[in-house]
Order: sequence, then C-alpha cells, then structure tokens
Amino acid sequence: MKEVVIQGLSQAYSNLVHMFAEFLPRLLVMLVIVLVGLLVAYVLKTILRAVLHVTRLDRLSEEAGASRFLRMAALPSMTELLSRSLFWVTWSGFILIGISVLGVAGLQEQISRLFLLLPAIFVAILILFLGLVTANFLSRAALLAAVNAGYPSPKLLSWSIRFVIWALAVSMALEQVGVARQTVIAAFSIVFGAFMFGMALAFGLGGKELAREFLERNLTEKKREKHEEPQPL
Amino acid sequence: MAEESFLADDFLRQLMSVGEVDLLVGIPSYNNASTLAQTLQSVEASLRQNFVRERAVILNVDGGSADETRQLFVQSAERIDAGHKGLTSLRTVHRISCEYDKSPSQGLALHSIVAAADLLRARACVVISPTTTNLTPSWVANLLRPVYRQGLDFVAPLYVRSRFQGLLARDLLYPMCRAIFGQRIRELYSEEWGFSGRLASQCLEKDVWHEEAVRARPEAWMAITAISADLKCGQYFLGPKTASPTGTGPDIVEAIRQTVGNFFWCLETNQANWLSRSNSQPVPTFGPDHELSLDGIPPSQEKIFDLFRSGVSELEPILASILAQDTHAQIKAIALSDRSNFHFAPELWVKTLYEFAASYHHAVLNRDHLVQALVPLYRGRLYSFLLENANSSAEAMETQSEILCQEFERQKPYLIERWTAKR
Repeated sequence: MKEVVIQGLSQAYSNLVHMFAEFLPRLLVMLVIVLVGLLVAYVLKTILRAVLHVTRLDRLSEEAGASRFLRMAALPSMTELLSRSLFWVTWSGFILIGISVLGVAGLQEQISRLFLLLPAIFVAILILFLGLVTANFLSRAALLAAVNAGYPSPKLLSWSIRFVIWALAVSMALEQVGVARQTVIAAFSIVFGAFMFGMALAFGLGGKELAREFLERNLTEKKREKHEEPQPL
Repeated sequence: MAEESFLADDFLRQLMSVGEVDLLVGIPSYNNASTLAQTLQSVEASLRQNFVRERAVILNVDGGSADETRQLFVQSAERIDAGHKGLTSLRTVHRISCEYDKSPSQGLALHSIVAAADLLRARACVVISPTTTNLTPSWVANLLRPVYRQGLDFVAPLYVRSRFQGLLARDLLYPMCRAIFGQRIRELYSEEWGFSGRLASQCLEKDVWHEEAVRARPEAWMAITAISADLKCGQYFLGPKTASPTGTGPDIVEAIRQTVGNFFWCLETNQANWLSRSNSQPVPTFGPDHELSLDGIPPSQEKIFDLFRSGVSELEPILASILAQDTHAQIKAIALSDRSNFHFAPELWVKTLYEFAASYHHAVLNRDHLVQALVPLYRGRLYSFLLENANSSAEAMETQSEILCQEFERQKPYLIERWTAKR
C-alpha cells in the first residue's frame, strides 16, 4: 500500500516537473513576445504620432468639430487618440499571440475568434468617427443656414440632422462587428421610420400653420425679403 | 507667358493674330445680351476718343451664356465699325471673344484676361462689367489713363453711394483693409477696375487660381497682391453707378461669404507682409475720395434686429469657440438690450472682427462656417448704424466712418497679438 502511494506521488511529481519543464520555456517565449510587442507597439505609436503631426490632423479635426466632442468626452486629441489606439491594438495582438504559445486548451479557439474580430472592430471605430465628423459638420452647416435665413427652430433642424447621421453610423458600426445583426437593422428601421413619421406628423398636422408659413416664405416671399436689407456692396 | 496652356486653341489663335497691344479692355459676361451692346459702344467710343495712337484690344470672356451674348459682341462691334463718325483711332481696335467655361466665375474670367494681357504684352488693362447700365466712355478712359500715363499698377473705382448702400464695404471691408494693409482704397470689391501689365504678369505667376476665394472675388485679391508687392495703387472717382436688374448683386449672406471669406483668405496668404505694417497712407485719388447721396429710404429695421438677436442666441456655442470670453459676453449683453436704445459700439465691432480674423487663421472651425457665423453680428452692427443715422447728414456719416477707421488702426496690435498667439 505504502509503495503504491509513494509510486503515485513520485509519478505525480515527475508529471509536475515534466509539465513545468514543458511550460516554463513557453512562458518565457510568451514573455519575450509580449516584451517585443511592447517595443514594436511603442515604435509604431511614435511613428504614427509624428506622421499625424506632419499631416496636421488635429487642425482638420478641430475644423470638422470632432475635437470638441473628444474634449467633451474627456478624451485626448485626435492624433493622441489614434496613436494610442494603434499602440493598444498592436500590443494586444502580441499578447494574444503570446497567450496562444502557452498552448492552454480552450483558449486557442477564443483567441482565433478575437483575431478575426479585430479588423471588424477597427472598421467599426472608423465608421463611428466618420459619422461623428459628418454629423457635426452637416448639422452646423444646417444651423448656420437656418439662422441666417431666419427660419424658425434652427436648433431642431440641426439636431435632427445630427441624430439621423448618428443613428445611421451607430447601426452601421454595430452591424460591422456583428452584434445582433438582425436586431440592429430592425431597431434602426423602427427608430428611423418613427422619427421621420413623427417629424412628418409634427410638421404637417401639429405645425400646419408653420408648414404653410414655411412654404409661403420659400415660394413667394424670398425675393421680397432679400431686398428688405440694404445692398451690402 | 507663364501659363497660356489653359487657354483654348482657338482663343490662342485669335490672340496671336492680334500681336502686341498697349491697352486691353476685358469684358466678362454671362447672359448680358440686353446690355452688352451699350457697354461695347462706350468702350469703343472711349478708345477712339482718348487713345487715338494706341494699339487696343477688346476681349470678351464669357461664362457659358445661354442667350446670344457672344454673337452680339461680334455683330455689334461690326456695326460700330461701319457706323462710326468723327474722331477715330489710327489703329484697328481688335475684338476677341472666348468662352472660358460653361458656368460663370469671376476668377476664371479674370484668369483668361490676365493671361491674354500677358501674352499680348498689354501695358494697361481695364475690366468692365456689362451689368453697369450707366457706363460712359469717360469711365473706361479714367480707369486706363492713370495706369497707362501715370504708371499706377492698380486703379480702383469710386462711386457716389446712397447713404444706406454699400454698408458692408463702409463698415467692414474698407476700414479693415485700410488698417491692416495700410492703403486707403475704398472700393476693393467692385466690378470695374484698372491694372497694369506688370501686375497682370505677377498675378498670373501665382498658383492660387483654383482657390475658392479667388474664384469668387478676384478683384480684391488683385488689389492686395499689388499692395503687398509695393506696387502703386490709386482710385478714380467715376460718379453714380446703376446696375441692371439682372446684376443686383448677392444677398447679405452670400456677399459676406464671398467678400469677408476672400479678405480673411488674403490676410492668411499675405501675413508676412501686413504683420509688420503700421498706420495707413492715402493713395493717389483722382476726384473726390467719397460722395454720399442722401436719397434712398431706410430699410425695415425690425427684422434685422430680430435676426441679430436670434443669431446670437442660436449660435452661442459656435460664437463661444470664435470669440474671446469677454467679447462674447458683451455681445450677449447688447443682444438682450432694448431695441430702441441698442448700440453696437465701434470698439466692440472692431474687436469682434479681429477675433474672427484670428480664429479664421487658427482654423478653430471650418472656415466657411466661421465666416457665416459673422452674419448675425453684422446685422447687429447694421441695425445700430441704421438707428443712429436715420437723419444724419452725409458729413456726419463720413465723420463716423473715419472714427471707425481709426479704431481699426488703433486696435491692430490686438489683432497681431491674437493672430500670433499659439493655440
């Protein structure tokens, strides 16, 4: 009995030693990969930051109004945000490669899935960013045009444009990463349809007078109003 | 002959058949069949009466007219040739017509004119608008003569103005340009002006013809180019100007986008030149340097004030990103004041404009949007002007205008400070 126990313990010990002997080099390789990844990510971040400074992306972002939203969300400048994102995406990639080297059963499949998802996440972030910039630019253009032409409720018009573009961008981004694809499309259709229907009802029925005034102003009074102000030049 | 390649073959052929000239009269046109004949008659008469020995060419550059403007140009010129009596030029007055594009653009029209002037080695050129219905032969001669005989490089026109007309020029463009560039040219944005062949060649060499600011209003850019190159500028009093109904000009929003947008762009591209300038100098002026007529009814003021007030309130976040905190607070305060006691002080107006110019330079938001955000504030200033000058004499209004000009000059260091500040 005693011999069996000792043999079992010795077998377990030898298995453990064998396992450690197999695992330690892998762990070492993983650490090396993670460290190399850290270095590569840092170099890439520095290069991207320099390139973006040269291309004056921050000024472009400021002009388009995207920087104001970043500040509101307590985020850094566009250049900093993109270079930091590249750093984390690169390093995360190396960390995942490192973990896969460990050969832990079950993790391999999850890591492959994550790798497949990375490009989609990147595209989704890009869609959100472009949506943000476009929404901000077009809503501001509409606000200025409406205010200068003296239309009623310019902010409502501006926010409507912003909302529609945001909704479109968010639904496109979610569809890109494959989050509840059917639900997102259905939700977007319902929200967008309801919004447009509500606008039509509000403008056509609730604001019948406003609609009449709006059409009259545009179709009949535009020329007269133009001459109410003295010739500027 | 820096850039003749963009000219069409047929146009080049016509130019080469003319050879060299002394004078060039450019007439940009777009659907001006109803007034072109009269314009041509005045131009022809002016050349025959005042420049008997000079070689001259009349150049029509058309922006794709749908009516018969171009055909009319050729036909009416033939009729003038056949029917002319009295003093005539000893030389042939050549006529050339070309279509620079299928849609009108002042910048493209001027580009063709300066390229032709450069190719033909013209010494003096003038641009004449066919929308001016009271053009006389003396106008053409008065814009050409200072360039041809007195060696000026840019001659701006001066018109008799109704007291409620041209307020954008009087309250913003003239005083701001005078303070910044140091030359007292009153009519930077006009449809008639004269320039030398030397200035034409310098302008042709600049790679800016694709810029929206130059495409929309090239005349002020040309004047500022002349000032920046230390060329000689002047102005000639032409009298009252009457535009045809088809040429009443843009509305207030479009006018500000075109002129103020163009002016801010000129500040940006010529900053090396004006940052070191101080004070202003009068330019050679032929005739009185201003004349205000007291006719014209004051426009409706209620709507102008309402648009100012709603603009200040609706555009609050946009104005906050353009203006200094203190300036923005002052504007918000006057927007809340009683309309009968409303006063937009010259000091505040100048400060506002300088902050807009600096924000344009720092591109705090899209530049076209920034210029559009000025429209409500201009309306506030306009309302204040109309309220205070309902019964003022021409002299009193001119005195006020001079005070405003001096305020612009006094605050110029503030513009430089904001312009050069790091953001």
